[in-house]
Amino acid sequence: MNAAPLSSRRPLACWLAFAWLALLAGAGLLAPWLPLPYAAATPDLLHVAAPPSWAGTGHYLGTDPLGRDVLAGLLAGARRLLLLSLPATALATTVGALAGAAAGFWGNRHLRLPLAAVAAALAVAWWGLALPGPVVLYIILALAGLLSLLQWRGPRAAAPWLMITLPLDSLVLGLTTLLGSVPRLILLVAVLAGPPLTQPQLLGVFTVVAWPETARLVRAQMLRVRAQPFIEAARASGLPTGRIWWHHALPHACRPLLAYAPLSLAGLISLESALAFLGIGQGPDVVSWGGLLASVRQDPTVWWVAAGPGIALLVTLLALQKIANSARYSGSS
Amino acid sequence: MTGWLVARLGRALGAAWLIASLVFMVSRALPGGPEQQALPEAGDLSRPTASMVSAASQAASQQALRQRLGLNLPLFYVTRGPGPRGQWQWHGAANQYHAWVRSLLHGNWGYSYRNGQPVLALVRPALATTLPLASAAALLAAGLALLLALYLARTPGGWWQQLVWAGLSGLQVMPLFLLALGLLLLLANPDVLNLLPAAGQAPPDSTAGQLAGYWLARAALPLLSLVLAVLPELTLPLAAALRHETQAGYATTARAKGLTAAQVLRRHALPNALLPLLTTFTDLLPTLAAGVVVVEVLFALPGTGRLLAEAAAAHDYPLVVAGVLLTAGARLLALVLADVLYLLLDPRLRPTA
Amino acid sequence: MKYFWLGSLFALLGGACSSPPAKLTSAPVRIRWVRDPETLDPLALPNQSAVDASNLLHLSLLQVDYEKNAYAPALAAGWPQLSYQGDSLTLVHYELRSAAAWDDGHPVLASDIDFTLKLMHCPGLPNENSREQYGFIRQVRIDAANPRRFTLVCRSRSAETAAISGDFPVLPEASLDPAHTLRRLPLATLQDWPATRPPDPAVAAVVQRYQRANLARQPSHLPGCGPYRLASWQPNHEVRFERKAHWWADKLPAPPLVLQARPHALVYEILPDDAAAALALRRHDIDVYPQVPARIFKQLQAAPTAKEDFVFYTKQSYDILMVGFNTQRATLRDRRTRLALSRLLDPVGLLAATQLGQGARTVGLLPPGNQFYNDSLPLPTYAPAQAMTLLQQAGWHRGADGHWRQAGSAAPLAVALRYRAEDATFATVGLQFQAAAAQVGIAVTLLPGESTVISSYLQAGDFDMYVRLIKGSPLGLNFATILHSQAIGAGNFTRFGRPDTDRLLEAIATEGNLPRKRRLLRRFQALLQEEMPLLPLFFLPYRLAASRQLQHVVASRLKPGYTAAALAWPATPAPAH
Repeated sequence: MNAAPLSSRRPLACWLAFAWLALLAGAGLLAPWLPLPYAAATPDLLHVAAPPSWAGTGHYLGTDPLGRDVLAGLLAGARRLLLLSLPATALATTVGALAGAAAGFWGNRHLRLPLAAVAAALAVAWWGLALPGPVVLYIILALAGLLSLLQWRGPRAAAPWLMITLPLDSLVLGLTTLLGSVPRLILLVAVLAGPPLTQPQLLGVFTVVAWPETARLVRAQMLRVRAQPFIEAARASGLPTGRIWWHHALPHACRPLLAYAPLSLAGLISLESALAFLGIGQGPDVVSWGGLLASVRQDPTVWWVAAGPGIALLVTLLALQKIANSARYSGSS
Repeated sequence: MTGWLVARLGRALGAAWLIASLVFMVSRALPGGPEQQALPEAGDLSRPTASMVSAASQAASQQALRQRLGLNLPLFYVTRGPGPRGQWQWHGAANQYHAWVRSLLHGNWGYSYRNGQPVLALVRPALATTLPLASAAALLAAGLALLLALYLARTPGGWWQQLVWAGLSGLQVMPLFLLALGLLLLLANPDVLNLLPAAGQAPPDSTAGQLAGYWLARAALPLLSLVLAVLPELTLPLAAALRHETQAGYATTARAKGLTAAQVLRRHALPNALLPLLTTFTDLLPTLAAGVVVVEVLFALPGTGRLLAEAAAAHDYPLVVAGVLLTAGARLLALVLADVLYLLLDPRLRPTA
Repeated sequence: MKYFWLGSLFALLGGACSSPPAKLTSAPVRIRWVRDPETLDPLALPNQSAVDASNLLHLSLLQVDYEKNAYAPALAAGWPQLSYQGDSLTLVHYELRSAAAWDDGHPVLASDIDFTLKLMHCPGLPNENSREQYGFIRQVRIDAANPRRFTLVCRSRSAETAAISGDFPVLPEASLDPAHTLRRLPLATLQDWPATRPPDPAVAAVVQRYQRANLARQPSHLPGCGPYRLASWQPNHEVRFERKAHWWADKLPAPPLVLQARPHALVYEILPDDAAAALALRRHDIDVYPQVPARIFKQLQAAPTAKEDFVFYTKQSYDILMVGFNTQRATLRDRRTRLALSRLLDPVGLLAATQLGQGARTVGLLPPGNQFYNDSLPLPTYAPAQAMTLLQQAGWHRGADGHWRQAGSAAPLAVALRYRAEDATFATVGLQFQAAAAQVGIAVTLLPGESTVISSYLQAGDFDMYVRLIKGSPLGLNFATILHSQAIGAGNFTRFGRPDTDRLLEAIATEGNLPRKRRLLRRFQALLQEEMPLLPLFFLPYRLAASRQLQHVVASRLKPGYTAAALAWPATPAPAH
């Protein structure tokens, strides 16, 4: 039974979810300009770990064990969510989906690349690692150029020995295994042991840590979709492989992501809180929801510090799940 | 089929060795080393000193320590000189990597830097604590996830279903240490409820049943924390997949033929929705490994999570590399198992080409 | 089997309601440790837990008396005599107690001291720690007439040479070197042995025997002279010590505190989390909780049954929270800039916020109650107006954008503050400094990091400011480790050192005359305030919570803050109520 996708029949909960996400986005974008009694990163030394009080000190949601105001921290955390965690989740999901779908579709035997590409890659690696022997470098580059010239006479008529098969499945699986076998925290400690990272670098690190899970999920789903009759029919009708993959197989393989993506956002935030807990990545002057939750460890009785970001995270997650559900039921059949 | 399996296992072992080698080299290339923890802290006034500790004498002590631990050898067969365009140098067999591989092939997993004990002797009792905990948590969570997902997939929802859904989302959102801390403060607190039994050991003359009882009592709260932390990740995607399956054509046909909604869910929708669950289940290992560290620190359990975390902090490389080798090996075996199960569950996935 | 479950359920529920039963004298005293000792090898004592264990298993010539906060003779019969030879050697004359003996009955003799010192310089043993600390002892001259009398020849002229020369655990020669093969090698030869030369065969044999004994895990392979022996050790979980039935010091008529050992058994529970340890104390799973953090201490005191069950102690310790400057950075070279930055820190507020007001502010590196404290100097306070004046005096001009610049350079005054990430106290200091500096127009970057990474940055001089906790002691006033120019690259992170300050530090270390020493130390504290290479914020307190039934709880100002061997349960159990 498929309900007609009329916007007037969307339930109230869906509108509430939209409203919350809009409020979050607004608060995050306007956070630096909102008139708050306390700044997010300034500690109030006289009221450390103070409970919420509506009169007097002006800490409406209390302070955390470092003295930071929780309300200001919530708004600053919303901004960080908008600018870092959401893009990281989106990027990780995209990268994971593409890698997993490609690995599942082409497997180990069906992706063939021209030899010149490998030669060029080898030359770049040689130069990058500064291996001895510049003469060899130029010989390889020349060889790569010659091969690509030979290729150009006719892509379809290229001889089989000029193409190599890229074992894409093993590569992607190997990468995901590597990233999944090393305990996440050891990996992050190693990466973040150096100088502190800028926003784009942090985004990159989070993406690298979070993409394997979505990749494996999408790959497993693609293995099932690949065997479906409609893919066979598309091949039989003469569509190019790339078009089949992009237009027909990929949307079906990404279906489990709708349920999984909000959870991976929550996972990324708890990773952030583990990092804040270890003190790696960025200092305490960069306030985030994960960092506020991590500060509860210093004084376990500060329930208000856990309640504020916790409830905000919970409502955000529920809102995202609601929207994902309604997108599924109104968009697909 | 068996040929494919043997090839898969061989690849898995090779991958594990590669991962361990990578961690071997990266850990030794990081700044800082075991000498920071073993030698007295610089700039400390608590021990009155008679002679000046100059940079030269400190460097001499560090050098002596590195020589005793074998860290003064070059790292690999070839190393690059310092600087942006350093020269590559060949070292032959006198390097740390070669020594490690040779001792590994002889069955010697190395000795811990902090106390000189063989690494396996340190890891074995810790595994005896962690493995039962982690596997019990995984099995319990999987079973509960199946039951809860079947409950959540029933289409006429109701308030209870929404509440359970919101509760699971709340659990997903909460970091594990907050959850464990909350449980500790609720259930092991003399002010609220005092259910956690004493720290300490069972008397040495206990029977197997009594030992199991002590273990269960001590492991109850950690187990509960781990299960609650892992449950949402398993349940929510499975519930969504089940809901999707109940919309398919074959489900309608089955209902038309007279099966109840629950029967349709259990017999027809569940096998089709199990595949993503299998993926998430094999991905459970890293999540559990990370969660076990937090739980062991909070509840003071002497397990592998705590052992490896402390070894990583103290730069005790042999222990870290052995731990990563074990974790990587376990993960890869789980992947092979998952692949075998995929093939058993869905005949369309059998390798044909 | 079901009765076991039923019974345990009732026991649990019953245990939740009633107060703890009275303890028998033979019950173990359970103390909390934060971390595992990792190794019980007496030559390598990497952390405080290992030092605590070593104090129970072995004895030294002089041991810390936690009641008097000073060293007291343990194996030595009395305080050693000092005499000087030449202008750089100190001779410390010891005599061992005649009753001191090993477990197998052999007496403790001077040859054991000599052997232990030689072990510290044998290659292949984990002794780098001890080698660095006791390398100043160059020779042991044993009296030919009395095998218990000997002299240590020390290459140092410090006033505390006597105290530090005797603080190492003594090992038996008879078990590790029965043929006395090491006696023909003088200690100085072993110390000067080049690293590239292969070791002497006698040394190699002793090293092999030592390694086979595996003292890191099984210290009972060697006979010890301490009061306890290791009964069981579950790594990362629990360590259990049992009192030896026949200990030589039991025969002494009036043993001093350092030779008293009352508990029949000591069990150390390793509980890494502070909140979990507080709950364990309240459930009576542990009896002593040393070094309690401030907030948890307050919560423990506020619990309903706190007054009947526990006793709480607070003592001023010698640990200082301090902020240091890199005096070799171009922006911080002028002392007025450093003074200005130090006025932006708020010691009063930080003390209230992090230690709930318990602690002692100081003008220099000495606690306020110390006899050498310079009370005529003002305490550092938060004064942003003064900071701006000082910056202007140092040649900084505030531009239109609010930042400070020096004439001729476009770079504004910006500071990078490094600290260890584990402690929330450091984070609070950093945040307060950042907020105060932002109001004045100085940009501060906070750079927390892992401890080993921070240590390497500090030693390399790759920082502008740092926040650190320095553990101090009243037993040594040798500040040369952190402020002498020779220590740059080792313990002197601030890289401060001038010839006149070096001479002052050396004079303080060697001065024996009290009034002259007082004058020198007062001048040193004034110098610290003028030059401001580092700013000591305050001294932290040690807090101890112990079960009320325990007797002889000696809360001390020295780490670890208590004496385990003095604790005891009452002889007759108090009537249960």
